Amino acid sequence: MRYSSFTPYDIVLLLQGLGVSVGLFLATSLIGLLLGTVWAVIRYYRVPGLWQLMSFLAELLKNSPVLVQLFLVFFGFPAFFRVNMTPVEAATLTLSLNTAAFVYVIAVSAVESVGRDQIEAARVFGLSRWQVLRHVIGPQASAFAVGPLVALLVNQLQVTSLISVIGVVDLTKVGNILNLRTLKPFIVWTVVGLLYYAAAKLIAMLGTRLENRLRAHSAWKGL
Amino acid sequence: MRFDLSILWPHLPFLWKGAVLSAEVCLLAIIGSVVLGALVAIARTSSAKPLRWLALAYVDLFRNVPFLVQLFFFYYGLPELGIYIDAFTTGVIALSIAGGAFASDAIRSGILAIEPGIIEAAEVSGLSRRVIFTRIVLPIALRTAIRPLGAVLVNMILTSSILSAITLNELTGSGRIVASDTFRPFEVYAVLLVFYAALTYAVSIAVNLLHVRLNRGISQDVA
Amino acid sequence: MLKAENVRKVFGSTVVLDGVNLSVQPGEVVSILGSSGSGKSTLIRCINGLEKLDGGRITVDEFDVSKPRELAEARKRSGTVFQLFNLYPHMTALQNITLAPIQVLQQPKAEAERKARALLAQVGLGDRGDAYPAQLSGGQRQRVGICRALAMEPRYLLLDEVTSALDPEMTADVLGILADLARGGTTMVFVTHEIEFARQISNRIVFLDKGKLVVDLPTAAFFSAKGGMAVPRIAQFLSKMRKD
Ligand SMILES: Nc1ncnc2c1ncn2[C@@H]1O[C@H](COP(=O)(O)OP(=O)(O)OP(=O)(O)O)[C@@H](O)[C@H]1O
Ligand SMILES: [Mg+2]
Repeated sequence: MRYSSFTPYDIVLLLQGLGVSVGLFLATSLIGLLLGTVWAVIRYYRVPGLWQLMSFLAELLKNSPVLVQLFLVFFGFPAFFRVNMTPVEAATLTLSLNTAAFVYVIAVSAVESVGRDQIEAARVFGLSRWQVLRHVIGPQASAFAVGPLVALLVNQLQVTSLISVIGVVDLTKVGNILNLRTLKPFIVWTVVGLLYYAAAKLIAMLGTRLENRLRAHSAWKGL
Repeated sequence: MRFDLSILWPHLPFLWKGAVLSAEVCLLAIIGSVVLGALVAIARTSSAKPLRWLALAYVDLFRNVPFLVQLFFFYYGLPELGIYIDAFTTGVIALSIAGGAFASDAIRSGILAIEPGIIEAAEVSGLSRRVIFTRIVLPIALRTAIRPLGAVLVNMILTSSILSAITLNELTGSGRIVASDTFRPFEVYAVLLVFYAALTYAVSIAVNLLHVRLNRGISQDVA
Repeated sequence: MLKAENVRKVFGSTVVLDGVNLSVQPGEVVSILGSSGSGKSTLIRCINGLEKLDGGRITVDEFDVSKPRELAEARKRSGTVFQLFNLYPHMTALQNITLAPIQVLQQPKAEAERKARALLAQVGLGDRGDAYPAQLSGGQRQRVGICRALAMEPRYLLLDEVTSALDPEMTADVLGILADLARGGTTMVFVTHEIEFARQISNRIVFLDKGKLVVDLPTAAFFSAKGGMAVPRIAQFLSKMRKD
């Protein structure tokens, strides 16, 4: 490819890449949050066999490189299960599961942060396990979990950059394209880096706001 | 398709070489991270405002930009400055800088946790600031920071897989080659995933043992 | 001579030391008494340069602790033993003691260690040189703390309630060592609540009250009915301390 300098259209390209990154981030975070919470509930009910499997899977996903997980899903699944898999599908599946694993771990420790005695007291009053979860554990555990969850999300946004390696045209891939075309790595990667930085700061800011609101809410209820 | 690990057998020596390369990169980079982290921690606890600000900016920036983008910045950017280094060195530098941002936090909390009286005792005995820092503050801070620094190392092992994106054939890079040679990506990446998880698990156990050993003298219980 | 002239120290809006004058001659043992919060620790911390003065002057053998260039020299001449020992937790007893002699006095390592072992033997810890602080009892830790201060061969030993974190038996051990030092001619400035002990070893006793040094008398005079006991604050303080 012949190299050429920047064009105004490159801004559109960068914004498109950012859109893909943020879009995939939002989608996989949402799925991951739901899935991770479901895992945690399965553990809460101690569904036999299933919850040990969940814990094991979560540990495996948490302690292995996301890149290897991506390769396993994108290259391994089609070869082994004979299924078709587009880069976006593989990215969505992998990142959702990966986020879910971390959400699960956070949720479990959040539930554990609520004292046993509180839970037992509530059970003595005749609340069902579900009522205890909803009215006693839920509010306290979620106040506990917001901080770690926000940190997780800021991290997961950065993790999305890996999907460029399997060919999703996200912000990092756009950076690659511009880098090859213009041969101006410093400018390209600085701009790409700053866009990620701004997005991360935005997530952190929204997260802190949410956290403060939840804190204020539970404090007010406590009075 | 049958899950058949025996096809990997002939490729084990090659994968092993990749694993050794990963280990070398991580070992050098964790040393680099701790050195850099210690320097940044000093800067962050220093009384000079510009120095504090600079250190904080470094930590904030490198924690909020994806590692892959940082890596491309160095890999493509340094040659533009006339600095030609191989993928291995680039990887070690990039990992050290990214890890240093996290290590500095761990070391900084280690420094802040030191009893002020201990430093006062050193001051009144006439020790110079340099000696107080190198012989008392840093050794104590590093000992108390062993666990969080271990977490930095675990993270680094996982992150080092990304170096395959700049053609370094560490473990994940070697895995890609084996996967395309054998047409068995599922088996290859499944094995890598489990291997990384087992390795990081072993590393965290080793770190815990090291923590116990190094802090024998520091813990307050009387023997 | 260790000399404090008209020393003033304020924290925020509270005056903690208010025109304190004190001089200690080589060979003297001076005890500082006073109720809690009267400024005893602050005075010690001013002498070893841990607190900046807000007025007045402190000199250790003519070296002014407020002058950065002279502080190092002043600190070489005084040694401090702390209430909470403040040993370096990652070093053995021996390393705690030899660090400053090697680094500050440039003693060869072997010589510093030989002297440190002799000091440890003197305080009854001859065999514990390789133990870490966490492996020692409180009384043993404080004895190491005393050795650490003595290893610098200070002209003046500053001690701030060095036994108040110890149980009675350990207190007796440590006080015994201090009495030996006093008899051996070590100059000491001694903050304590152990009135009887102060009476036995001190040449002079000074009394701090709300930051003011109200009495500075030879020991016998301090405890006589016409001397210190004539001051209502002191009589009250002493009777309260004796009851405890
Ligand atoms: N760093 C500080 N900041 C603010 N106030 C302080 C500080 N250090 C001491 N003070 C105050 O100065 C006063 C004198 O304290 P100091 O520790 O010198 O008393 P003391 O005579 O040693 O008492 P004690 O017998 O309890 O040890 C107290 O009112 C204390 O609250
Ligand atoms: Mg005191």
